[in-house]
Amino acid sequence: MTFLVLDHLQKSFGSTRVVHDFDLHVEKGEFVSFLGPSGCGKTTVLRMVAGFETPSEGRILIDGQDVTRLRPNQRQIGMVFQAYALFPNLTVAENVGFGLKVAGVARADRADRVAEMLELIGLPDLGARFPWQLSGGQQQRVALARALAPRPRVLLLDEPLSALDAKIRVSLRNQIRAIQQQLGITTIFVTHDQEEALSISDRIVVMHRGVADQTGTPREIYNHPATDFVAGFVGTLNRFEAEVLDRGTGRVRVAGAEFSLNRPLDGDVITLAARPEGLALADEGIPAEVTGVEFLGSVQRVRATVAGREVVLDRFNAPSAALPEPGEIVHFSADRSTWLVLARGD
Amino acid sequence: MRHVWSWGAIILGSLYFLLPLIGTVEFSLRMRRGEYSLDAYRSVLADPNFHATFGFSVVMALLTILLGVLIVVPTAYWVRLRLPRLRPVIEFVTLLPLVIPAIVVVFGYIRLFNTSSWLPLTGTAHGTNLLLLCGYATLALPYMYRAVDTGLSTLDVRTLTEAAQSLGAGWTRIIGQLVLPNVLGAVMSGAFLSFAIVIGEFTMATLLNRPAFGPYMQLLGANRAYEPAALAVIAFAATWGCMGLMQLISRVFGAGRSAK
Repeated sequence: MTFLVLDHLQKSFGSTRVVHDFDLHVEKGEFVSFLGPSGCGKTTVLRMVAGFETPSEGRILIDGQDVTRLRPNQRQIGMVFQAYALFPNLTVAENVGFGLKVAGVARADRADRVAEMLELIGLPDLGARFPWQLSGGQQQRVALARALAPRPRVLLLDEPLSALDAKIRVSLRNQIRAIQQQLGITTIFVTHDQEEALSISDRIVVMHRGVADQTGTPREIYNHPATDFVAGFVGTLNRFEAEVLDRGTGRVRVAGAEFSLNRPLDGDVITLAARPEGLALADEGIPAEVTGVEFLGSVQRVRATVAGREVVLDRFNAPSAALPEPGEIVHFSADRSTWLVLARGD
Repeated sequence: MRHVWSWGAIILGSLYFLLPLIGTVEFSLRMRRGEYSLDAYRSVLADPNFHATFGFSVVMALLTILLGVLIVVPTAYWVRLRLPRLRPVIEFVTLLPLVIPAIVVVFGYIRLFNTSSWLPLTGTAHGTNLLLLCGYATLALPYMYRAVDTGLSTLDVRTLTEAAQSLGAGWTRIIGQLVLPNVLGAVMSGAFLSFAIVIGEFTMATLLNRPAFGPYMQLLGANRAYEPAALAVIAFAATWGCMGLMQLISRVFGAGRSAK
């Protein structure tokens, strides 16, 4: 059943429209990420759900209730900010208990709930500390506990991992996902990091210039990008100019090499795309000149140029396989199904 | 060589501040001819007018601080949160009391609120006290606003507000339980200055004819020889004592709560 409805939201600041006709239905307990570059409007949508911005048009419904005109403190929403935003004058326990105190929960019940939340985030002994005595990762976990303590209807996460260093980022995102699944709380997660979005979401909304370009599961977004922008923004993508030889069978020529895609094509010249891990080195195929080889442990990354364009190929490390040398001419091939045909235009 | 200069500066500065003070103390002890005594202090402390006026001014100072906090903290907070463009304007307004002499302010008050006006505040002692309180709060405004605004600049006001709102808090709770405790140090430093200003204020209290400490000091100074010096020393000590007390109270209340 649909729990959170964003019904044709629009938002303009002055004459600039930052969100165009944003429409989304979120199921109860679903984890949805808004992914896009900065300035794409993802944070604005989140802030409209939180109540910090009022939509110029459209409605927001939570559990059937229209909250569009409700003030932020009446919406029963939990929010976690990039800058942690813990209250510096309160201890960790007081921070976590703040929302409960506002809601008028009795002192004893409050203490129980705070202890439960601190247990949940794995910091049961830090209740008496002050925020400045904690590391960034700990502070953000406390912020999460604080947001969850009053049992909000929806949890909003505004780039919660961006201020943390790489290692903590990965462990905390897994923890966030685990807690979210344990509590079954409907969650919206805003990020510009595609790896983050792909790894923890049920669904991803890729946003670009105030428009939701594509909404889908991480697999759909990665494997079947709907627009050129999505294809380029999520993951690395190699692009090839292809000359269409036969529209019916999808026979094409790329840099002199001919092969068939086995699907009907439009146009005379199209752009084909393939992920680095979709390409393989073969005896025959698209000729490429190797410009560099990176050894990344589990993965070998081969950089090459095809008809003047840089192309990247990733393959798993194998001790017996020889690495190509820079300057060498190799041939790239790919499975028919892994080729993406990109829409022409922007 | 550098040490010599810096020590020289320290000594010169100390002399500049301490010599008049030492001189005053020394003079205040010479009421009895030929020997040092505390006669002047005894005389001052025995005067019931001293107790009345000093008590009046201390109460007024505390009320001024309270009024100042009530006006300045929400204003500075709101300007930072919602009207950042107005900040220079508000800052200019708060600096006006430094430019406009107190005598102008008080004549304005008397013209506006005299007994034949629409709001005859000067008609009663309480009304006049209220007027004096407002005048004091105005005089303290530049110091209070600066201090609080600086305190707020160390906070991420907007995000903290949004975090509190998302947890269900309303404005009163946000300002009372989150903003004020976090700028308490700044509020206290503003309060010290307000206190010092009010204790010695002369113009407004005289023209509004209120029994404050400033006019009492002036009266005594015009009529006695040794007592004014003793009074100055007492006032000095009492002011510093009160400030120390406020500092202590804020420390006790803020025990372990101050970040950094």
